[in-house]
Amino acid sequence: MGIIEVKELTKYYILGRNKIVIGLENVSFNVEEGEIYGILGPNGSGKTTCLKLLLGILYPTSGDISILGKNQFDIEMKKNIGFLPENPYYYDYLTGPELLKFYGKLFELPDKVINERIEKLLFLVKLHDARKLALRHYSKGMLERIGLASSLINDPKILILDEPTTGLDPIGCIETRDLLIQLKKEGKTILLSSHFLSEVERVCDRIAIFHKGYLLTTGTLSELIKKYNADGLEDLFVKTIEEFDKKGVVE
Amino acid sequence: MKKAWIIGLNNFKESLRKKTLYILLVVAFVVIGASKAFSFLTAEEELKMIKDVSFSCIDFFGALIAIFISLTSISNEIEKRTIYTLFSKPITRQNFFVGKFIGVILILLLNFVLMSIFFIGLLIFKKSPPDIQIFKTLLLIFTKLVLIGGITLTIATFASDAFNLIFSIFLYIIGHLTTYGNQIADRTENVILKGFWKILYTIVPNYENFNIRDKVVLGTEVSWNYIFRVSIYGLLYLGVVLLIGSYFIQKREI
Repeated sequence: MGIIEVKELTKYYILGRNKIVIGLENVSFNVEEGEIYGILGPNGSGKTTCLKLLLGILYPTSGDISILGKNQFDIEMKKNIGFLPENPYYYDYLTGPELLKFYGKLFELPDKVINERIEKLLFLVKLHDARKLALRHYSKGMLERIGLASSLINDPKILILDEPTTGLDPIGCIETRDLLIQLKKEGKTILLSSHFLSEVERVCDRIAIFHKGYLLTTGTLSELIKKYNADGLEDLFVKTIEEFDKKGVVE
Repeated sequence: MKKAWIIGLNNFKESLRKKTLYILLVVAFVVIGASKAFSFLTAEEELKMIKDVSFSCIDFFGALIAIFISLTSISNEIEKRTIYTLFSKPITRQNFFVGKFIGVILILLLNFVLMSIFFIGLLIFKKSPPDIQIFKTLLLIFTKLVLIGGITLTIATFASDAFNLIFSIFLYIIGHLTTYGNQIADRTENVILKGFWKILYTIVPNYENFNIRDKVVLGTEVSWNYIFRVSIYGLLYLGVVLLIGSYFIQKREI
């Protein structure tokens, strides 16, 4: 039993009368407790659609999702989830601490706990000096960091991160990577979507490769490299995608 | 309800800091203040003019503010993609919708109270302290503004901003004409025209019910019974509208 279980998940987007676009097609995978599971894929491969379905932001066309044994819309279950969207946008006119407080209150945390966590998280993401700055004055990297902090305000069991290093400079990327490894050591389960292969290679226990809404393959990196006779992750990535494009083969 | 309140307060805080609404408020102050300029009238006529202009101004600018805030309240969340983060939190879509409505009410209330204080201040300055009829008129105007906000917010759950803006303004105008439309329906022999106005009279909110300012300005007393009945009408209409909005926000693909 995985902490996240996805079974035959399908999402079609209906655009106009006769146009249907595949967002996700019959995708199944499990994420085990305490692991970092990476979803890889080119742009438009269905990574973000998958994460939005897991969070109950989108409605699936068919299929089942179970997180901590509950469905994706369960409010109690959501108290254990932290989410960082891709290119996070927040309420421009709030400051970092105000944003964290707002989200903390939605988790029904006591004020004392919220205030303690705000202090801790601002130091963790190195934004303690920007506490009085409204978010509209934040750089892209700062927004990404406050987003990461906001995803941790409820001390979640499961972290769902959509492209967490987009907009970060190289040092920011390394710090985020180290933070993810640290969070894993603390027992958190992390589901990470990215198209940065090196990032995924360094932190993920298992990966899944998505393309055009299909899950092409999933497993540990060493398993998949062996299976596809690939020369590293980049080669594996190219091979699986090319194979799909040529034959339409889905494993 | 607590989570809806938190979302509403956040909405209120954001709107206060954006300051765009202050422009409307300043214009309203200027217009209300300008009503004092009719000093060539007799004292009694001037007082009537101040009341008439002020009530109209609070009503009109209040409606503009109600439409403007409700219109952008949901679409801003979607456009700025803040809704993704919000919906990943332990809240229901109903919490979100009710929260947005609370935010609209709070912003409306603040603007309404400021305009009303300015108006009452003007009356006191003119040595004519407000009587209970003034407050009855203001109460019905505010109920109407809340209804306008609720309707616009509900339309925002399924329609674009442009459609919503046009439709809400159309409703505002038609909503003031349905009483006349009903009178036309009673008099006309034309079945289509009769049916059209009767349907419109039944479906469209009758904003004219909330308008007692002409009577109050002329010194006619309006009973509490009437105020109570119209308020109940407004709240029931609002309840139905919010239920519809709640249904659409639940169904909507973000």
